[in-house]
Amino acid sequence: MIELENIVVKFEDFIALHNINVNVKEGEFFTFLGPSGCGKTTTLRTITGFVEPYEGTVKVNGVDITNTPIEKRNIGIIFQSYALFPSMTVRNNIAFGLKLQKLNKNEINKKVESIAKKVDLDSKLLDRAVGQLSGGQQQRVAIARALVTEPGIICMDEPLSNLDAKLRVQLRNELKKMQKDFGITTIYVTHDQEEALTLSDRIAVFNKGRIEQIGTPNEIYNHSASRFVCNFIGDINKLNGQLVKDLGLSPDYHHYIRLERLHINPVQKSDDELQVMGVVKSREYYGLYIKYTIQIGDCTVKAVEKNDGINLLDIGEQVLIGINKRDIMSYDDDEKEISA
Amino acid sequence: MKQRTTRPDWLKPDLLFKVFGIAFFVYLFFGFMLIPCLNTLTQIFTTKGADGKTDPFAVLRFFFAGSMPMFIWNSLKLAICLVITVNVVGISIVLLTEYFDIKGAKILRLGYITTLIYSGVALVTGYLFLYDSDGILTTWLVRSFPNIDRNWFSGFRAVLFTMTFACTSNHMLFLRNAIRTIDYNTVEAARNLGAKPFKVLMKVVFPTLLPTLFSLTIMTFITGLCAMSAPTLLGYNSINPEIVRLAGSSVADEAFPQARAALLSVILAMFTILLLTLLSSYERKGHYLSVSKTKAKLVKQKINNPVANVLAHIYAYALFIVYAMPVVMIVLFAFQNYPAIRSKTLSFDQFTLINFFGTQDYEFMTNRGKHKLRPNSISGVFSNADTVGGIRLSLLLSAIAAALACVIVVIAVNYIFKNKNKKRSTLLEYSMLFPWLLPTILICYSYRTFFNSDNVWYVGNVNLYMRENVRFLIIVAYTVVKLPFAVRMIKAAFYAIDEELEDAARNLGASPIVTFLRIKLPIVLPSVLAVFALNLNSLFTEYDMSATFHSSYGKTYAMVMQAMTMEEGRDGYNVNASGRRCASTVFIMVLSGIILYLVYGVGARDLNERLIAKEKRRERKEKLIARFNTNLKH
Repeated sequence: MIELENIVVKFEDFIALHNINVNVKEGEFFTFLGPSGCGKTTTLRTITGFVEPYEGTVKVNGVDITNTPIEKRNIGIIFQSYALFPSMTVRNNIAFGLKLQKLNKNEINKKVESIAKKVDLDSKLLDRAVGQLSGGQQQRVAIARALVTEPGIICMDEPLSNLDAKLRVQLRNELKKMQKDFGITTIYVTHDQEEALTLSDRIAVFNKGRIEQIGTPNEIYNHSASRFVCNFIGDINKLNGQLVKDLGLSPDYHHYIRLERLHINPVQKSDDELQVMGVVKSREYYGLYIKYTIQIGDCTVKAVEKNDGINLLDIGEQVLIGINKRDIMSYDDDEKEISA
Repeated sequence: MKQRTTRPDWLKPDLLFKVFGIAFFVYLFFGFMLIPCLNTLTQIFTTKGADGKTDPFAVLRFFFAGSMPMFIWNSLKLAICLVITVNVVGISIVLLTEYFDIKGAKILRLGYITTLIYSGVALVTGYLFLYDSDGILTTWLVRSFPNIDRNWFSGFRAVLFTMTFACTSNHMLFLRNAIRTIDYNTVEAARNLGAKPFKVLMKVVFPTLLPTLFSLTIMTFITGLCAMSAPTLLGYNSINPEIVRLAGSSVADEAFPQARAALLSVILAMFTILLLTLLSSYERKGHYLSVSKTKAKLVKQKINNPVANVLAHIYAYALFIVYAMPVVMIVLFAFQNYPAIRSKTLSFDQFTLINFFGTQDYEFMTNRGKHKLRPNSISGVFSNADTVGGIRLSLLLSAIAAALACVIVVIAVNYIFKNKNKKRSTLLEYSMLFPWLLPTILICYSYRTFFNSDNVWYVGNVNLYMRENVRFLIIVAYTVVKLPFAVRMIKAAFYAIDEELEDAARNLGASPIVTFLRIKLPIVLPSVLAVFALNLNSLFTEYDMSATFHSSYGKTYAMVMQAMTMEEGRDGYNVNASGRRCASTVFIMVLSGIILYLVYGVGARDLNERLIAKEKRRERKEKLIARFNTNLKH
């Protein structure tokens, strides 16, 4: 569906994107994930036509659109700020693209009302000023405006970042549902790894203008291709000191393990599991789970345990930690993953 | 089959628009800013001596040998004194209404802001109406103290007094804003740490106001240096009135008047450039910005010392009287008839609308004791041909110029934003701000001398100062002078446009022109209209430029008002000028009030507020129709 081939973007002497290659399938929810300034928005803007690549091609359904004008690409965008036109009502915002297509008034009204219904926007809101709407409602207007012209692809640039935490989670689920309902190919930009993991079919992790890894959420999380990816996605422990030796790992590599893969006071011992003693140094209460900081010899690790309301560990308490070797991700100095 | 022809690249609208735009701005900058002013500069060094030979230093020698430094010193003296008096009064009125807990602060504020709708030539003529030798207050004072000097209100004292109160409008706008944005938690913190109220004011509040005060001081200094209407009408020999006098003088009367005028205007420009450079370098240093994320609203401070509290109240109300009295008197006398105005007495019996509408015959006795009748000699503002002509001309010229300035600046600023960080956009912006560096008088004087010729090729060898052409010259001068203000205001409005809006519009299929017209323009339109209205307001009664271009073809409202201050003839000439002057001032105040209301009241509403207002109007209309229908049925 969308193919980015050897895309290089330069801003004067600064190279923003180095040889980007991405292939997004039809109907896929594809996420560009990475920290600020890593090139994810630049890649999105290259697809939409706001940024002209220095090298490389952008293809949609096999057609080269690298030099196609923005307005002729048939790609909808939902901006971070929503970019709703403040001087227009909700209705006029949604109808803007349709008016430019010179559709007749009745058809425009029909389409506006239909899309408003689909994105769960109350028809009473249509004649209000956009400034009067809540963040969630504004986001629905932005989605409706982008979808009403029936684009082949939709691009979303951190559309949830302006919302509060609770609404973000709620709209995240709605967004996913809407994408499935419309069946539209979606490219989503975010720096929030949780958002990326929950929403995406596949994720491209960006770092310093390069793609570090492309994969499904599970691949990215459990088989991070580089130290950067494994550190960027979720919370992680770096193993060092005596513990590395006890686990029989090479001290020449960098070893990591996810917090939830450390088993506190395991009931049973599995075959590959090493059990070591540790001391609880501190605990953080998160409600759903509890995060403990545990000192194992000269290595400090964090581990999480489901909050059952009964077994709360005290600071200074001795605990048994079970570590399975297959849960460890190891990397060489070039940051590449080495198989266990 | 009809074959489609491809339009050549050079015929594409975007390119044509760009080429035309560049050509226009180059023409505007060189033709109406740089070349006329350079011509003024060269005038200084190309004067001819008695032998007919060019003597480059003749004017400079004359300058040092003659009385010319006196005008500069007088202007400097006025500017320095004005900085002190305006700041003292300006800071006082802001503190009294915003910082200290003074009873009746809202009423006081109303009095102090009268200068917003009552300024320039209207204010000076208003003060004259009160304080000059024949003024109301002077007449009342003479009745009580016969030995008092009737001409007490003239010269330096009168100019300083008038301009002090005229120039505090900026304090009421900007210093008031600055004080309102102070985080009250900082005041509380200082008090909590043991600082007394006065210490808090000096050490916590004042430092945050310093950047605004510095800007206001520089602007006041420049206003003092470039003062025109007050010195002209109140009789004070400062630079600007002298330039206008010299510009109208001839070689037959005095030595090289034009070159002297040029020298004075260039000296004035040098002072202005120096001060603005100082201001801009200070602004670049940065300000004391509030670091607070959750600002607390300022709570007015009680003056605990009872004596100080009483004195502060007396001072506040004394200032209120000075501000409000001319306005009140002018409004009252605007509705009094000619005999009442002449005798400076107020009476309900003498109430009339003749100063506004209609005409009356004037009956008087000649020196030989004969009764004479001059038909229609008493006339109102809207019935007097001269006044109506002045109003019409001023309204037309200022509306065209205000609109032109807005159109030019909107196009320029749009280009500047589209080409951010590029040298050509910086160049364009600086060229638009260029007139800010030059005193208005230099620009106008330059126009008057440079375009008073048939040899300026780029205006088609037409003498623009001759006959009706002067109106075109006034429009150009008005436009050019208002460009910097429009650039600053409209640029600020463009900053408010989210860059993603333009991307969104483009993505939805809008061309650059459609994006500009349908997305960007509606967003900046309230600011553009505000700039238009404010420029129109200030140009409508503008005096400095009108005086420079004054001719029978360019007699603007300000010049008509100036004529109204001339002594009223006892034999029926210029009768009722004082009444018409009062009515004119009322008219200007009403007009300014409406414009300010439209700008800051209606114009400041966002789409949401406009929709609510529209909904209310609809409901009211429906109710009215329903009531009408019910009445009809009954």
